[in-house]
Amino acid sequence: MNSTNNVDFLKSLVEEKYKVNKTEVIDQYQISFEVEQVEVHRLLSELKLEGWKQLSYLSAIDWIDENEFEMVYIVFNWDRPVHVQIRTRIDRDKPVMNSIMPIFEGCKYYEREAHEMFGIKFPGNPDHEKQLVLEEWDDMPPLRKDFDPQAYSDRKFPVREYNNDFVELNGKKSKQKDRLKRAERIEQVGKRGNK
Amino acid sequence: MESTKYTQPVALSKKQVDRKWWEIGDFFRRNSLWMLMYCTGCCAIELPPAMTSAYDMERLGMGPMATPRQADVLLVTGYLSLKTLRRLIYTYEQMSEPKYVVGFGSCTINGGIYHDSHAVINQLDQYIPVDSYVAGCMPNTEAVMNGFVDLIELIKNKKANGWKNYHTNNAWYKKNQIDALGEVRIKDEFHQ
Repeated sequence: MNSTNNVDFLKSLVEEKYKVNKTEVIDQYQISFEVEQVEVHRLLSELKLEGWKQLSYLSAIDWIDENEFEMVYIVFNWDRPVHVQIRTRIDRDKPVMNSIMPIFEGCKYYEREAHEMFGIKFPGNPDHEKQLVLEEWDDMPPLRKDFDPQAYSDRKFPVREYNNDFVELNGKKSKQKDRLKRAERIEQVGKRGNK
Repeated sequence: MESTKYTQPVALSKKQVDRKWWEIGDFFRRNSLWMLMYCTGCCAIELPPAMTSAYDMERLGMGPMATPRQADVLLVTGYLSLKTLRRLIYTYEQMSEPKYVVGFGSCTINGGIYHDSHAVINQLDQYIPVDSYVAGCMPNTEAVMNGFVDLIELIKNKKANGWKNYHTNNAWYKKNQIDALGEVRIKDEFHQ
């Protein structure tokens, strides 16, 4: 059993029965299928029967320009060493994805994380709205692209104020002015430019 | 003729006697510091060489302690997310007095490379008093050892007063904690 056969096996298994929008063979150990939202559960349970019985990861990607979230499920088989990524696009304004807890029960915590970081709801997972990593969070989900972490940090955590009083240590002249001059020169003419 | 070998004992006031006892206490305290390592960030990797034969902090009289109630020094090694800050405040308040705090790395000073993170605080001394800082990202082990010597000097000169400030400015510290955390009480699945 060699690994090119594994990729071919997977391609024929998935592409014959399911409507695949996009197949991407990354290398001989990784393959990605983009399918419709309604087919994810059926595809994952079939892969589980074929031996892809470990859910390695579940997360989301925020495609803000297309106003969509992309869900990614990564499953792994210990006999045929191929990571399979199942991707699907869901609406960004009302992100709802049915839980895959009946198939992979361990997804419970990944789904809680995805709910916390992206605000995706997972009906079927009884705990998906419980807090996991962020405690007492009071803003929009932080991994959405329209969240500004700098603004949140400035609002919430005070920034230390500094005076530009450089200490002359042991009677030596401070090099700070030379450093600033050098930084300015590099900005103007580049690192190898003339003085 | 009056003896020069003998001086008449002077009656000390209670305040002076207390001061003498504190000086004796400080002598023993600074030569036997038990530290609680709160290894939150990457600066914790500087502690193994500082503790073992390379720099051997036991020659300063410092040793590791496993529990907060018996420890004297709290080492905060690196960045603190809001989640760990809650646990850190719990830990700090459990320590018996006098207690000292050493902040490692630029993260505890001004946020370091996490200055723009939504989950990481910028200044540790807004939430608990810090006696000594070790600057650097990350500080090398000489700097860490130097920070410990600085702390010992501070205790000797009676300047390590962070734990007293926590009493006198308690309202200010509590307000900052609540501004950043919402509520200090931990509510997770293990505390329900």
